[in-house]
Amino acid sequence: MDLAAQLAQNWSVGVFIVAVLALCTFMVTASALLGGRAWGHNKETPYESGIVPAGSAHQRFSVKFYMVAMLFVIFDVEALYLFGWAISIRETGWTGLIGATIFIFILLAGLIYDSRVGALDWVPKRRVQPDRVHQPAQRDQADN
Amino acid sequence: MNILFLTPLFPLLGALVLAFNPRLPDRIAGLVGVGSIGLAALVMVWLNVTFYGGANEGVTQTLWQWVAVEDFRMGFSLYLDGLSLTMVSIITGVGFLIHLFAAWYMREDLEGGPGFARFFAYMNLFVFSMLLLVLGDNLFLLYLGWEGVGLCSYLLIGYYYENENNAWCAFKAFIVTRIGDVFLAIGMFLLFAQFGTLNIQELLRLAPEAWGRGDLMAELAALMLLGGAVGKSAQLPLQTWLADAMAGPTPVSALIHAATMVTAGVYLIARTHVIFELAPMTLGLVGLIGMLTLLVAGFAALAQTDIKRVLAYSTMSQIGYMFLALGVQAWDVAIFHLMTHAFFKALLFLTSGSVIIACHHEQNIFKMGGLRKTLKLPYACFLIGGAALSALPLISAGFYSKDEILWLAFDHGHTWLWLGALFGAFLTSVYTFRMIFIVFHGREQIHPHAGQGLAHHVPLIVLAVLSTFVGAMIHPPLENVLPAGPEGQFGHSVQLMLEILAAVVAIVGVGIAAGLFLGRRRLVRSLVQTKEGDRLWRFFNSAFAFDWLYHRVVVRPFLFIGRLHRLDWVNSLMNLWPGLALMLNGLLSDTQSGRLRWYAAVMTGGAIATLLLLLLL
Amino acid sequence: MNLTLSHLIALLPLLIVCVTVIVVMLGIAWRRHHVVTASLTTIGLNAALVSLLAVLTVTPIRVSPLLLVDNYAVLYMALILIAGLASTTLAHAYLEGFDDQKEEFYMLLGCSVLGGLTMVASDHMLSLFFGLELLSVPLYGMAAYAYRTRLSLESGIKYMVLSAAASAFLLFGMALLYAESGSLAFADLGARLTEGGGHASWLLMGIGMMVIAMAFKLSLVPFHLWTADVYEGAPAPVTAFLATVSKIAVFALLMRLFMSAPVTDIASLHTIVAIIAFLSMMVGNLMALRQDNIKRLMGYSSIGHLGYLLTVVVASDDLALLTTGIYLITYVATTLATFGVIALVSSPWQGSDVASLKFYRGLFWRRPYLAAVMTVMMLSLAGIPMTAGFIGKFYVLATGVEAQLWWLVAGVIIGSALSLYYYLRVMVMLYLHPTEEEQYDASSDWGQRAGGIMVILLALAVLVLGIYPQPMIMLVSSAILG
Repeated sequence: MDLAAQLAQNWSVGVFIVAVLALCTFMVTASALLGGRAWGHNKETPYESGIVPAGSAHQRFSVKFYMVAMLFVIFDVEALYLFGWAISIRETGWTGLIGATIFIFILLAGLIYDSRVGALDWVPKRRVQPDRVHQPAQRDQADN
Repeated sequence: MNILFLTPLFPLLGALVLAFNPRLPDRIAGLVGVGSIGLAALVMVWLNVTFYGGANEGVTQTLWQWVAVEDFRMGFSLYLDGLSLTMVSIITGVGFLIHLFAAWYMREDLEGGPGFARFFAYMNLFVFSMLLLVLGDNLFLLYLGWEGVGLCSYLLIGYYYENENNAWCAFKAFIVTRIGDVFLAIGMFLLFAQFGTLNIQELLRLAPEAWGRGDLMAELAALMLLGGAVGKSAQLPLQTWLADAMAGPTPVSALIHAATMVTAGVYLIARTHVIFELAPMTLGLVGLIGMLTLLVAGFAALAQTDIKRVLAYSTMSQIGYMFLALGVQAWDVAIFHLMTHAFFKALLFLTSGSVIIACHHEQNIFKMGGLRKTLKLPYACFLIGGAALSALPLISAGFYSKDEILWLAFDHGHTWLWLGALFGAFLTSVYTFRMIFIVFHGREQIHPHAGQGLAHHVPLIVLAVLSTFVGAMIHPPLENVLPAGPEGQFGHSVQLMLEILAAVVAIVGVGIAAGLFLGRRRLVRSLVQTKEGDRLWRFFNSAFAFDWLYHRVVVRPFLFIGRLHRLDWVNSLMNLWPGLALMLNGLLSDTQSGRLRWYAAVMTGGAIATLLLLLLL
Repeated sequence: MNLTLSHLIALLPLLIVCVTVIVVMLGIAWRRHHVVTASLTTIGLNAALVSLLAVLTVTPIRVSPLLLVDNYAVLYMALILIAGLASTTLAHAYLEGFDDQKEEFYMLLGCSVLGGLTMVASDHMLSLFFGLELLSVPLYGMAAYAYRTRLSLESGIKYMVLSAAASAFLLFGMALLYAESGSLAFADLGARLTEGGGHASWLLMGIGMMVIAMAFKLSLVPFHLWTADVYEGAPAPVTAFLATVSKIAVFALLMRLFMSAPVTDIASLHTIVAIIAFLSMMVGNLMALRQDNIKRLMGYSSIGHLGYLLTVVVASDDLALLTTGIYLITYVATTLATFGVIALVSSPWQGSDVASLKFYRGLFWRRPYLAAVMTVMMLSLAGIPMTAGFIGKFYVLATGVEAQLWWLVAGVIIGSALSLYYYLRVMVMLYLHPTEEEQYDASSDWGQRAGGIMVILLALAVLVLGIYPQPMIMLVSSAILG
């Protein structure tokens, strides 16, 4: 397929892209040219007409929050596979049953592991390590 | 003969054991080092017995296939005939005695310090290489041994490497002999190109068929071989390294730089004598080189103060005699002289080692003097060795071999060579007895302590016995290997006359030495104190200033050329490329900012570029 | 689909590794014990390696549409398992001093090996993606395993983000190919291209995106920027794993894709790959020139090496398959031993790796054997004769010459010349006299450790294969014929 034929085939896409770009440009420039602008101190604040925020937005959640959420998602999604098996239970027969059983037992093993390592405990029993951050030995000079 | 391979094997094993166990106790290291050579010597005795009992012919023992390229085959083969048997006997026999002596010498010398095992490892390796050299049935194997002995010589000259000067001496020996080695290699290439084989016996068979007498190729091949021989045997013009080689321990000087390695050149020429016979000009050159060397070395020996340097120059001159003998086609006599020389020169060197140790490492003969009262055995040995060196008639081994050379030179019609050699014989007895008189007579200046023990006495006594007429009664079995040489022109009466003449010359030399150097030496001193005398003395002392000459003619221009090449514009052009590479490296390193968003951006950019190219191409 | 016994046998290595991971997990849940965990992993991987012998009796066999277990797959499975075992050994020595939970490392490693095994046997987009993710996701965790070290954490995160982006490319490319061809099996991809129908551009975009994703995994220019940072930050055993297992798996797969999928028979695709290969050779070697950190240096050098190897993808003929096998074997042995030495010098873990070149100054005078191994490896990487690296490079050149890819051949030669500089620099460093500065050192009983024996064995293997490569060549050629 030569270039001309390709162009002929895809010209509508090209026109669409050009049109999108043109429209965006038009909207931004037109409003900038036509509209008036207000200047003032309050224009600099995040919420011009709302409540002044209190405290930082960078709030720290306990890592447990993410942990439990993640575990939930993982087990939930894995359980979804069982639906796939459930609707084809007759077709897959014994092979399917054995497979599903193994799958469930693997999930169970994972659950046992999670509970044993304390991933499911909301309050950790003890801190494993004091806050100690190892400093890197030496970064090279050539690259950074 | 199937135990032939054991001869080189024992020294090799010894060298390996010592090399890999550098911390062996001195006693065990000495046992291994000396014992391996002793075993090799026993094998040598057995070889001799079977050889004389057998057919007296050359035997080849192929150990394994070494090189096999297309139809070119070369075995790792040893060849034993009368010539190599003689050499093997000298190497292992004299070598064993020297090793034994070295066990005493090194213990005294090192005084318990490290390096004992290292010394014997080198020595054993040397003996192994030397045996390969003389036993190799092809030139390639010979060359391996040749380079091996060169290496060991280098290692042993630089044995006391803490002293920088010794390292330079080792360098010198290595480099100068290397020049000769290059000639030898070229000679090998030449022979291989001509005959397609490196097997010595085949070469000797093929050469007369292909070349006529005086053929250019024959001359060239012989000349190249001669180049190698000259380098290894310290003959003119590559003789300068030998005197400096005395930096090594004295047993090394005895073994390598007197008895064995330096005679490798003589062996090489004798071994390839057929080629030399086809090249009369080169053969003449051999004799000429021999004569010049023996004269130069003789004069140089007159003006040395170091006991070992005197002996070194005497070695040079004696090898000159051997070359002269080869040049006048007195092949078997050359080898005979090689053998007697090995006996008495080893004796002299070992004795000098004993003297040096006795005098607390003093080597200057003018600081010794009057040692004959305290060092009785060394004195006797020195007398016997000196007599053999200056070929005093009837009692000494040297007389029988050297006079044979003189006679044959005359008999084969080389009168000039004969005259030179005769004068050399005179010089020899002068410088030899000069040394003996200065060291052992006169006023005592040092308090020596005489050497003790069997390892000290036995080698000296055995070698002393062999240096007398007893040694001359051993006749190397060379009849089937080396031809007799041309017919002589003169009869027995002339021979007898000449022998008496040579004997008289030698005795006169002793007498002159006694007159000059016994007593107060007033005459010599006054001669040297004149301006011309002093200049002459220095000229002789530097062995005709060859070092100075070579420094001017070879070393300096070489360094000059080297300096010129330092500013090589081709090279500086080439240096642009590393610069370019480093520049690109700098540019590319800047892309490694460590910032994730930059990485992601580059990745995206790369992906877009890739896909665009994919669509457009 | 019916699973027969021979299907199960063909899957044995995967099953064994899978069981190993679960057993290790349960073992950790029951009681933490470093040595036991490491031993269990080693036993499992060894069992998988042995089971390959059984697999050979049933090859070639197609197990479901997803996997094709043939001799080709078995060869690379063996290579992956050996690399995994080596990494386990190194990790055991390395983690001895690690002041946090050590055992999970082996779980992650097992999962990653499983992913690699799946990839080299995959003949289908689905198993490709599945294998690739199973290979990569544990690697994020492994790279960041020493997460209290800033560099390690940084490398894990960088790798994760960029790798996820690459996976997105892969998925989108697969989607495009599926849309055009209606199948996910390699052999069906672009079958319509040869029939002449369909939108060639979409197919081109699809395969292009897939190539981009794999080029990222292989750290080829211009998708290479992560390499040095991740290599440097990750703990040394992880770097060893990353530099070998992930490269073997991805490259074996790329080769299979190019050999079996008709969609890759497009001239412009080959041109693009050639450009990427040439750029990788140049950029990788140029960047390594003045590198003072040996792990970064190895990262850059790997860019160059993969560039050399990419030559065979451009050629895509039978010799190319042979070359791939030989080159990967030699490269893996060399890389493993190099990182092995780095890991051993850094073992046991003391907070950071000994990566700066100055710490290797005079290593020979302290640890002659380690320095000797390192020397052999540097020679092998530089492709000096008598080492395995030479054989590999020789085959690459042979492939390039046979396919008449002169630009790439020139690139290999220029790249090798450049690389000599920095490899020799490392070597020289090993033999200089040590300075009085603080020196890191391998713990003195390293020789007793399995790791020490392993690197020496690898060094011997590199030498033996360099001098007598015939068995290796026979092995690989029998693998690609079967």
